[in-house]
Amino acid sequence: MLPEYFEFFVPARIAAGRGMSGSLGPEMEKLGVRRAFVVTDQVLMQLGLVQKVLDGLAGSAVEVAGIFDEVRPNSEVGLVEKGPGDLPELARVAGADVLVAIGGGSNIDTAKGMNIILSEGGHLLDYEGFGVITRPLKPLVAIPTTAGTGSEVTQFAVIKHEAIHTKLSFSSPYLAPNLAILDPELTVNLPPKLTASTGMDALTHAVETYVSTSWNPIADGLALEAIRIIGANLVEATTNGGNLEARYQMLVASTMAGMAFSSGMVGCVHAMAHAAGGLFDVPHGIANSILLPYGMEYNLEARPEKFREIARALGNDVEDQDPKAGGWTAIEAVFDLAERCGLPRALSEAGVPEEGLPTMAEAAMVDGAIFTNPRPAEYDEILAVLKKAY
Amino acid sequence: MAVFQSDVEVYDYIGEFISSVKDDPAIGPKIRQAGIIIRFVYREPQSQITIDARNPAPEGHFYTVYYGDSAVEPDLVMSMSADTAHSFWLGKVNLMAALTRGQIVAKGPVATALKLLPVIQPTYAMYPKFLKEHGREELVKFG
Repeated sequence: MLPEYFEFFVPARIAAGRGMSGSLGPEMEKLGVRRAFVVTDQVLMQLGLVQKVLDGLAGSAVEVAGIFDEVRPNSEVGLVEKGPGDLPELARVAGADVLVAIGGGSNIDTAKGMNIILSEGGHLLDYEGFGVITRPLKPLVAIPTTAGTGSEVTQFAVIKHEAIHTKLSFSSPYLAPNLAILDPELTVNLPPKLTASTGMDALTHAVETYVSTSWNPIADGLALEAIRIIGANLVEATTNGGNLEARYQMLVASTMAGMAFSSGMVGCVHAMAHAAGGLFDVPHGIANSILLPYGMEYNLEARPEKFREIARALGNDVEDQDPKAGGWTAIEAVFDLAERCGLPRALSEAGVPEEGLPTMAEAAMVDGAIFTNPRPAEYDEILAVLKKAY
Repeated sequence: MAVFQSDVEVYDYIGEFISSVKDDPAIGPKIRQAGIIIRFVYREPQSQITIDARNPAPEGHFYTVYYGDSAVEPDLVMSMSADTAHSFWLGKVNLMAALTRGQIVAKGPVATALKLLPVIQPTYAMYPKFLKEHGREELVKFG
């Protein structure tokens, strides 16, 4: 049976291929833009990746109006609004008519936040929430250098409010990038642990959206194929980072998972991972990786058939298994995948203090992600999941 | 045709219903615990209801309800048609779906509203009874 209502919306044109960033200029010309303001970070500058991307503008009508290269691991309100001297104002003065985000989720989300202020004025807090932005913003180009967040195609931005230690959520179709450039050559320098954890983040997006209460058939198709691709390529991309084919597969799968969860949403694993990140600075991908099998176990009774399909997508023969047994096969496969990637397997290994678990459970219970979890979650149950994962 | 014909009707039914729960011993304390101010801005007919669960409430009440303009600064503003609000209190609106569809626009920390969903769930059964007690049972079928 299909959902009573669903909406699927992905405005980003996706241009993918090895060395695709070399065609950045012609691709951006199709947007009708001329002056690009680049948002990135110091690490990518030092690795020469930003220059490699910008070399792709050579011979085109698009020029660089300015570069902001000080994005930090967590996108922050203060950084988006001010940076070194009013960041959106810098772009405005530079005459920028397009923003180009190069990097991981923080860089892309920072650019999304900056685009709000650059296009609409005011303060970022004025736009927090669902549907507050009601008209198109300036064009945004996203060029991911990790394969995990999916932010290059989503209508969401998560930006930390440093003063109140809270992550603010922004959701609007107009936040989504107009163009996503997927170039696996930009991901080959990603260290193994980061490759693995961002890949597990992408897997978590795909698994959670596939079983969520906001599921829809289009998202399901994308999610299931993303699971299959990640299952087949994550270990290779982690252990043999120079394998461009595996890198390419992971980049595409991450984008597909992003397209899926943009409408299908996520669930309790993300709610708990957000809590782990907000309270104890556990990197998002690591937290998801640890919590995913436990969240799957908690949700198994709500979606046994779908969990069996996940097992199948991960390469397991589940023909002779009933849905629940097949679901268990999926859980074991996810656990095994994280282990083969060398990721920590318990919250205790990720710097979470045991006495912090009740606070984590409280935070997870009010996280937006938990409201599309397939099994209604109570505080005691989430605490029990966290204790199991500890 | 809209469920409510005037802002006065919105206040008489949705407003008074929300007010009726402010001394409920089971639900009131949980709303109070959220400690937030939510403003509902309705259209068709234009009206506004603010729930203040942050500032001190009158003796015996767990929060204060304001109709129309109020000076309190809300943490979260939720905008929707009064028809959608009516359906919501009948328990017929999936908040996440309504947000996605743009039927409800939430400006501010949406998680605070989501946090209250399980708390107010028992009121979905109370609203039709409230309408019946106030002689407007026919409105239930417009949900």
